Amino acid sequence: MELTDADLVARVLVDDDQHAFGELVRRHQSSLRGLLRQLTRTDVALADDLAQQAFLRAYKNIRSFRGEARFSTWLYRIAYNCFRENARRRKELVGIDEEQLQTQHDPQVADPGLRHDLMRALNLLPLNERSAILLCCQNGLSHDEAARVLDIPLGTVKTNVLRGREKLKRMLADWGPN
Amino acid sequence: MNQEDWLDRELREAAPYIDDEGFTARVLQQLPPPRRRHDLLRAVILLGMAFLASVLAYVVSGGGRFVSVTFDRLAALPALWVFALALTSGLVIAAAGATAAVSRSRASLT
Repeated sequence: MELTDADLVARVLVDDDQHAFGELVRRHQSSLRGLLRQLTRTDVALADDLAQQAFLRAYKNIRSFRGEARFSTWLYRIAYNCFRENARRRKELVGIDEEQLQTQHDPQVADPGLRHDLMRALNLLPLNERSAILLCCQNGLSHDEAARVLDIPLGTVKTNVLRGREKLKRMLADWGPN
Repeated sequence: MNQEDWLDRELREAAPYIDDEGFTARVLQQLPPPRRRHDLLRAVILLGMAFLASVLAYVVSGGGRFVSVTFDRLAALPALWVFALALTSGLVIAAAGATAAVSRSRASLT
């Protein structure tokens, strides 16, 4: 029988079982690295560094995981904090504004496909909308869970998802159903 | 199909599974060494308690006279009986040790 995340966390807490923690890393590495790659605008090396940092921080602070939320939600929150701290250091927290959005989207460039356009459109969204879209629409978190991860009010998450969707729809209008 | 469904599906599919490729091993390498268990402390406490219990038993039993009485009785037993008693005790202790070892190895495999 496969152990649940809660079982593995318990083993880490009680026995300081690093194999159990390794299993948690194996289970969540893909989604966490994926999220961070999107947040860092596909900077793979930076995203992996942040993911590593997030897992190490999770290990050191595992006693503060009280099991009220899913382990993955708690992990996302740590990862998002790592990303924010790094972005603050790199002064990248300011989102790209509408004007920038227009100038960066060059309709003359022939895109190889929808996936490429979607990635580019996502990268053009301001951070608050991008992160809300990534958590809720891509990683399947509820608005409430996303609000915990991002440490913002529930209403703000809903607004950001809505605005982000609108912008994505606008940017991907050529690909959408008519 | 409405725009929301289409967008959600595309967003989900745009996040493929990322192969581990040594990521987990790198994280595990960077973990701090496991906490030192308080095995020594536990052993000291257990030995201390055992010592105290022995002293208490010695005092309560009137200077441990029961020990010499037991040895006298054992010495009076036929050699075959003493051998059987020692063998039985050894087997019981070995079985308990083996059971503990098996259950511990099972727990570490799951």
